[in-house]
Amino acid sequence: MSEDALIKTGIKGLDSILLGGIPRTNVILVQGVTGSGKTLLGSEFIFRGIAQHNEPGLIVVFETNPDKLIRDAAGFGWNLDELQQQKKLQIIFTSPQVFEQELRSPDSLLLETASEMGAQRIFVDGVGLLNTNPDDSISVHRTYRELLQQLIESLNRENLTAMFSLELGNARDSIATAETTDFLADTVIQLGRERHGRRIQRSLEILKSRGQDYEAGEHTMQITGGRGLEIFRRVQAPLLAKSKQPTSSTMRSVIGVEAIDTLIGGGIFDGSTTMVVGVSGVGKTVLGTQILREGSLKQKTRGLLISLDEHPAQIIRNAQTLGLNLEEQVADGTIRILFESPQELDIDSHYARIVHLVEEHDIQRMVIDGMTSYSTAIGEIGVYRDFFHAMVAYSKQRLMTTFFNYENPEFLGISSYMPDFPLSSIVDNLILLSLVEINNSLHRCISVVKSRGSKHSFDTREFLIGQGGISLVPLEQNRVPALSLQSYSSLLSRAPTRFSLPNRINGAVTEQDKE
Amino acid sequence: MELSVQNCLDGVGISLLSEWDILMFVYRHGASLTSADRIARLIGYESRVVSDVLDRLEREKLIERSRPSQGVCFYRILASMDAGRWYCLRLLISLSESRSGRLQLAERLKTLWSDSGREQQAS
Repeated sequence: MSEDALIKTGIKGLDSILLGGIPRTNVILVQGVTGSGKTLLGSEFIFRGIAQHNEPGLIVVFETNPDKLIRDAAGFGWNLDELQQQKKLQIIFTSPQVFEQELRSPDSLLLETASEMGAQRIFVDGVGLLNTNPDDSISVHRTYRELLQQLIESLNRENLTAMFSLELGNARDSIATAETTDFLADTVIQLGRERHGRRIQRSLEILKSRGQDYEAGEHTMQITGGRGLEIFRRVQAPLLAKSKQPTSSTMRSVIGVEAIDTLIGGGIFDGSTTMVVGVSGVGKTVLGTQILREGSLKQKTRGLLISLDEHPAQIIRNAQTLGLNLEEQVADGTIRILFESPQELDIDSHYARIVHLVEEHDIQRMVIDGMTSYSTAIGEIGVYRDFFHAMVAYSKQRLMTTFFNYENPEFLGISSYMPDFPLSSIVDNLILLSLVEINNSLHRCISVVKSRGSKHSFDTREFLIGQGGISLVPLEQNRVPALSLQSYSSLLSRAPTRFSLPNRINGAVTEQDKE
Repeated sequence: MELSVQNCLDGVGISLLSEWDILMFVYRHGASLTSADRIARLIGYESRVVSDVLDRLEREKLIERSRPSQGVCFYRILASMDAGRWYCLRLLISLSESRSGRLQLAERLKTLWSDSGREQQAS
């Protein structure tokens, strides 16, 4: 469909869900319960039409005081008064009966006004009020249906793209009214306002839209003071094939972190996804910070660190204590830190912010620290899984090398990589950071469990966290009083066992062993 | 202050409470596509009173109305009201935003209404 054939709502995020807009002269119905944002959506549809597309419009209200509509709009920075003075907008207060009569009348004042203004859009707030007869008989609904059909006919004749709002209720007549209106409208947008715990979440769903494809499902809607509505595409929706970017690469990049580059010989593939699994305190955040910093310094890659746990200032301070100076990279924008509190986290808008940052700053390396906080914040395993899948798919589409930190709840040894979230199969690389107990002290170990397309080492190596971040303990270094880490077996199965052969050193099998 | 309110009322050309109420209805509703009957139902006046007041406000060049169509008209505050009159009207609207201001206005208009409007309204 050509661009001109579509009318753009101008509402942030909505046109992309509508794949460009709504076919012109489609009758649009916006329905929802009280307080779901119907009047606001209709008003913004008219305001954006004037402000962004130079399409004058009318707002017809039956119950709302126009004065209050103008006042409320001013809170979003929309000067409706000024637009009325410029004859680009007309807010009309009338009754449903007059409105209905006007649209049928050959010398209609309302349509005359629309024509004089060159109006292309009309928003009618509260179309359900046209069905004023309290009787719920079939004949009444037939009358309402006929009335609505006449109304739609009149508006189509005038080439007006009409948006109606309809309040949904539980009463039988309300349901019947909604069914009739839904059937007659070409595009039906349902707004939701649901309680999640103690917070309210707003949603928007396109139930139908004749003559076009659209992104189905429930998307997040937010009302922002000083700006208006913003719709965030749901994260679980499959990515549209907007571009022909490859989803895999044969290019490898040295990560710049010795611990990883040593164990995955030659670095990891660009655009691959890596899950770093480990208990709290084992060094996942340090590794993530180091990956971004080394990437910035040595590979000149732009990085993004996403955290729901630590504020940027705290991340920078903690890195500083290890001699990992992030301040410079953060200041010059080569590393960006996105922090959002897990409380009140709205996953659709959070995902949109990530995508925006990645695309605006052409991020090539991303660390999500960590997935466990998302699990707590999101609450619903299905949505959590969708977020993770969307993140992996998006990273691959952009050939962005992404690391997900996952906090495993098991302290010593693990029985499952991701006990509450078995999705390790969808990542390309899996790195375990473990704590092992030898004698009476804990040691940090790193193992590469999986690395698709790479000949990686299966050795578990001890590492230290110190100045400069994570560094592997050299194989020959004997830090433990008697024997090195390599002198033990079953380190990850919670039962480290020392080899009985004293001549096995550094994991190497000697001639004596063979005999 | 009292003198000032009176001056403003004189400046606007309002003397009756019903005139003030109907003028405010038209002001707050921007462009009202309606009839005198419906305004009367919404603000609790008799239809005939509203009809008379609308005629008077139009004659006084405070409001404008479109041609009638099937018993309804567009009613709007007259956009070309002179600046002095507009200034007085804005002052009165601002005054009516507080309870004490509304009481002052009602008292003033009621007095005027009692003196000259009762018979008119009752007739």
